[in-house]
Amino acid sequence: MPRHWRWLVPYLFLIPGGLWLLAFFVVPMLVMASVSLQEGSLGTGYSLTWNFGIYPETIQHWAPQFARSLWYSLVVTALTLAIGYPMAYTIAFRGGRYKNMLLLLVILPFFTAYIIRTLSWKLILADNGVVLGALKDGGILDAGFRLIATPVAVISGLTYNFLPFMVLPLYVALEKVDPKLVEAATDLYASRLHAFLRVTLPLSMPGVFAGSLLTFIPSIGDFINSEILGSRDTTMIGQIIQRLFLNNNAYPEAAALGFTLMAAVLAMIFVYARAVGADELTR
Amino acid sequence: MRDETQIERAIARAFRPQRRMSRRMFLRQSGKGVVVAGSALSLSGILAACGIGPGGSAGASSGAAAPLPSAPAGTLDFANWPAYIDIDEETGDYPTLAKFEADAGITVAYTEAINDNEEFFGVIQPDLAAGNPPQYDLIVMTDWMIEKMIRLGYLSQLDLSKIPNFDANALDLYKDPWYDPGNAHSLAWQSGITGIGYNPTITGREITTFDDLLDPEFAGRVGMFSEMRDTMSLALLSLGIEPENATVEQATEARDKLLAPAQAGQFRNFYGNEYYDELANGNLALTIAWSGDVSQMKLYDNSDVEFVVPESGGMLWIDNMAVPKGAPHPLDAHLMMDFWYDIENAVPLTEYVGYFSPVDGVTERVLADAETAEAEGDTEWAEALRVISATANPTDEVLAQVHNYRKLTEEEESQWNDLFNEVVAG
Repeated sequence: MPRHWRWLVPYLFLIPGGLWLLAFFVVPMLVMASVSLQEGSLGTGYSLTWNFGIYPETIQHWAPQFARSLWYSLVVTALTLAIGYPMAYTIAFRGGRYKNMLLLLVILPFFTAYIIRTLSWKLILADNGVVLGALKDGGILDAGFRLIATPVAVISGLTYNFLPFMVLPLYVALEKVDPKLVEAATDLYASRLHAFLRVTLPLSMPGVFAGSLLTFIPSIGDFINSEILGSRDTTMIGQIIQRLFLNNNAYPEAAALGFTLMAAVLAMIFVYARAVGADELTR
Repeated sequence: MRDETQIERAIARAFRPQRRMSRRMFLRQSGKGVVVAGSALSLSGILAACGIGPGGSAGASSGAAAPLPSAPAGTLDFANWPAYIDIDEETGDYPTLAKFEADAGITVAYTEAINDNEEFFGVIQPDLAAGNPPQYDLIVMTDWMIEKMIRLGYLSQLDLSKIPNFDANALDLYKDPWYDPGNAHSLAWQSGITGIGYNPTITGREITTFDDLLDPEFAGRVGMFSEMRDTMSLALLSLGIEPENATVEQATEARDKLLAPAQAGQFRNFYGNEYYDELANGNLALTIAWSGDVSQMKLYDNSDVEFVVPESGGMLWIDNMAVPKGAPHPLDAHLMMDFWYDIENAVPLTEYVGYFSPVDGVTERVLADAETAEAEGDTEWAEALRVISATANPTDEVLAQVHNYRKLTEEEESQWNDLFNEVVAG
């Protein structure tokens, strides 16, 4: 390749990824946007009527489920962070020669299908299953107590399923922290807590940012956990969208809700990135 | 001990192919992911979705049947529900289907692709609307969905002269049904009843009415169906309204009747097939249920459970074989349908799946097989066959208690869906 064509090379490398994004992201999005603005029925077909009114209408109608999904996924993100940070910290700084094995253990559940993992919780936590049955027999719990079909079960299921998405980025960030920096801080009379707060934690923020996004985004749109572990009162927006699409064939409403969810998530990420400081993350 | 066996059974159940109920159970969830990915990946799907076309062209469902080819193609794509056909438990083969392949010289690509009427419809609808040849030559759908698909022009007309066994052997109930006059587009596969399943050891009393499901005594231990038609129809019946003739106002009354208890936490959840395990393992005391499930549960999973048709009435559902419009191998599909209306093939099917057979005389044959099994010393199988024989063909007594679904227009359907969505989603 002649030297003056060199500038093209990076763009050539971008082509496969760009085509991928175009085919599987941009085109479906345009289709979804188009469908959401159509009106009609299966019998007569649908046509584009630029029915923007569907957006306020569907958002208002399903606001409780939107709010619930947001609330659940915020709790899930906080929980995975609270559980995942000590895990990642321990693996990164105290893992020693067991590091790789510990990491393998973190991703081990992924060797089983998502649905089977979730279904297993339903069996483990069944009203008279291994855990609750034993506690009830021991007189510790009331016979009517249950976990399945409660918000606790749904949030726990989501937390369990998305924990590795939090741990892995945190580990990558923490692993890069040079222990000598902490040492230097303590040499300069910082307490261990202070050294952590002033050195380790700020340096691990890219991991916190990536981990939060990787747990928050999938959990806000999730419909499996609530479907399997929840009840009517835990209905999340993902369940509504899938129900409208597949069971009710209400394509425009479903597309509008899907689009709204995506826009809302993007807006929240934007605010979050500004708050955390996105340029911090590229260091 | 008790808990261990319970877990083992539940896991075994989750991985073992099940009969009708569970045919909707486990794969339902995993199926969804595939559905979404599948439709996103098919370019024609994208374009079809871009401008969602109208139902099949006018006259598709009226007019004469499209002429069938003179000779079978020798191949057939058959989509059915999981474990809704006799299966050799050891090899996983389908013995009766294999017999058809050998006799007719037709290779059948049999797939358990259907887990839910609406979801499967959602999958095949874009192709049918766009006039693309469907992936399947033969599908099994419930009566109300057959009615909807005929209305949209999505089903081929059948040539009944190629299916002589139907006229000769089908029970009257399945001829000229409400959803398909003259069986122009569909023939019954199996059928059953939607009623109430309960565990008397938990309820502590006999359950007889739909209102028992709303009794606060059982709060949090009651199951409902997420299937709109079954739940709404039973609620309508409890209000003394025939679901066949219910208006939107009456459907609103049914919504009101269900909404207050739903908000008060009366129902543990709204279930698809998962209700089976919840009833079997005692999480549910009583629930809406399908007849065949409860008899199987009694045999294999929980001998305590009972099925009852509510005093106000139950729903009769009929699953049907049909040929999607434009199917590539229609004659092969006709031969397959004729095959199942031969009693020699209908008996092993019903002995395995345990639902109502549309073929006359199956009850007697199942009883005769029970005698044979008894004589050969296989008392367990003989007992199972006796249980199945009670529901092998529907009895007049049962038929007097059941109703049909309403033929909902598209507008009504969306109104009913809106009403029901309020009940299901809190």
